[in-house]
Amino acid sequence: MKPLTRRGFGAALARGAVRLAGIGAVLHVLGIPFRSGKAATTPELRETGVLRPPGALPEEDFLARCIRCELCADACDTGCIRLLPPGSGRSTGTPVIFPWDRACNLCMACTEVCPSGALKPGLDKHEVRMGDAVVDERLCVSHNGTGACGACHTACPFRGRALTQGIRNAPTVHPDSCVGCGLCEEVCIVEDRRAIRVFSGRAWT
Amino acid sequence: MRLPTKTQTSRRALQILVLLLMVVTPILARYGNYLSARQLDKMVERFDGSFQGKALVWTDGTLRLLAPDKHYGEDVVRRDRKRVLEAAASLKGSTWSFELFGLSLTDPLAVLESALTSKALPWVLLSGALIPLIFTILLGRIFCSWICPIGFLLELSGKLRAVLRFLEIRPGRIRLWPGDKFLILGLGLATAVFFGLPFLGYLYPPALLGREIHNGVTVMFDRAEEGLLGFSAAGLTLASWFLLGIGIVEILFGPRLWCRALCPGGAVYAALGKFRLIRVKRNADLCTDCAECIPVCEMGLNPMRDHTGIECDNCGVCISHCPDGALRYEFSLSDEPRRSSAGNAPLCRKEAV
Repeated sequence: MKPLTRRGFGAALARGAVRLAGIGAVLHVLGIPFRSGKAATTPELRETGVLRPPGALPEEDFLARCIRCELCADACDTGCIRLLPPGSGRSTGTPVIFPWDRACNLCMACTEVCPSGALKPGLDKHEVRMGDAVVDERLCVSHNGTGACGACHTACPFRGRALTQGIRNAPTVHPDSCVGCGLCEEVCIVEDRRAIRVFSGRAWT
Repeated sequence: MRLPTKTQTSRRALQILVLLLMVVTPILARYGNYLSARQLDKMVERFDGSFQGKALVWTDGTLRLLAPDKHYGEDVVRRDRKRVLEAAASLKGSTWSFELFGLSLTDPLAVLESALTSKALPWVLLSGALIPLIFTILLGRIFCSWICPIGFLLELSGKLRAVLRFLEIRPGRIRLWPGDKFLILGLGLATAVFFGLPFLGYLYPPALLGREIHNGVTVMFDRAEEGLLGFSAAGLTLASWFLLGIGIVEILFGPRLWCRALCPGGAVYAALGKFRLIRVKRNADLCTDCAECIPVCEMGLNPMRDHTGIECDNCGVCISHCPDGALRYEFSLSDEPRRSSAGNAPLCRKEAV
């Protein structure tokens, strides 16, 4: 064994520090999915679930398949696709749509560009099932009698089938035809908590 | 007759181009959003005098060169929106997965990991990796030396070690075992198989950099829409600290520590490049044992010892530094040194002494 010199000791210390830092980094990354505080989670998001881009596979398959590149977000026509920030567990870096901010216009560019097959390519707009729009009749001004709006009906790309209007333009959603694009939610005139919201049925995992 | 200086210039040019593309793609995406929504002129006006406004104006100017305006009669000029949008959509993504003019290029590490987490290998996934795979098998670990934006930034920040030396602070020269990266790769792939978690995608620095640039630019434009113009670090996340940490460790403790010994992507590329056709080879007769090539090697190898193996990333820096022209790129399947007609034993004299 070599005699321990001062320089040798310093080098050994430094090498140990680098190894420790490396192990720390690995543990840190390993810890991402187990951290409880989810950065992007709002009570709203917990309630409605994560809205994935069109053509997304079932949540478990989607999370396994997605490589967390940003191609879908770059290809997006409206810029509605965002990437979930670190601290979002296994969903970190995966695409999400916040329809109250910007909704999907079903241009389907993301499905064409996805390199991993997590977004199924070649889907027709009608076949997309991102979620279902649900009207909160207490909040909707056309339903609760405080006005006559009809904004969601105007925005809906499948109006007449997915969304019909009744008296005072009160909207009714038909889940069989609703694709869940969220355009109705984007234009809803009720601030803070929209009267029509898309529920994706994809819980946080 | 020596070409290597040109090789190095083109290598730098390619590295800078790739980094530039990674910054440009999210700006192009946002430009496309505004143009598609017919809001571009309004946004240029609103962002006037800030980084965001300039980015939009420059993008617009460049794209108009590719898709010129249409002229109707005397003074009616219209922007050819459709063609501009097509041009803007021709570049997408980052080095983790690029789409260049309809050509999909995906990192083999991403493919490997996605295939293991989902236990499936669809054709879209594999086809994206074909070109990188072919290039790596033929040319070796060239992603690390010619393309990887982190490799480029680490080479750049490594120059700060000279500043430290000037300040009479001796930077450390730690070397870790190069096999460590295969341990990390194995650990990551095991995590992918058993927990379905793409651990390496969260650790691999080029992928992190792409995500950071994307988030940073997107958030800057979002803030501009709300009236907060100018640069902002609000979109940057923890990953930036991780990347910064790698840089600092490398400057203070050991050159190219991450690339040499820890990078899981480097491990994949090294393994794929084992039977590469082009190698850096030494002519033992021309070699004067000056050892100029040893300190310049980014991977910490010794070209005078010939057996550089899978760690050599074919960057060619040693070739351009060799004063005797003894090192050259050659077609070969092995690392055995060239023998001259004289038949001298290929021996590194300094090693022998």
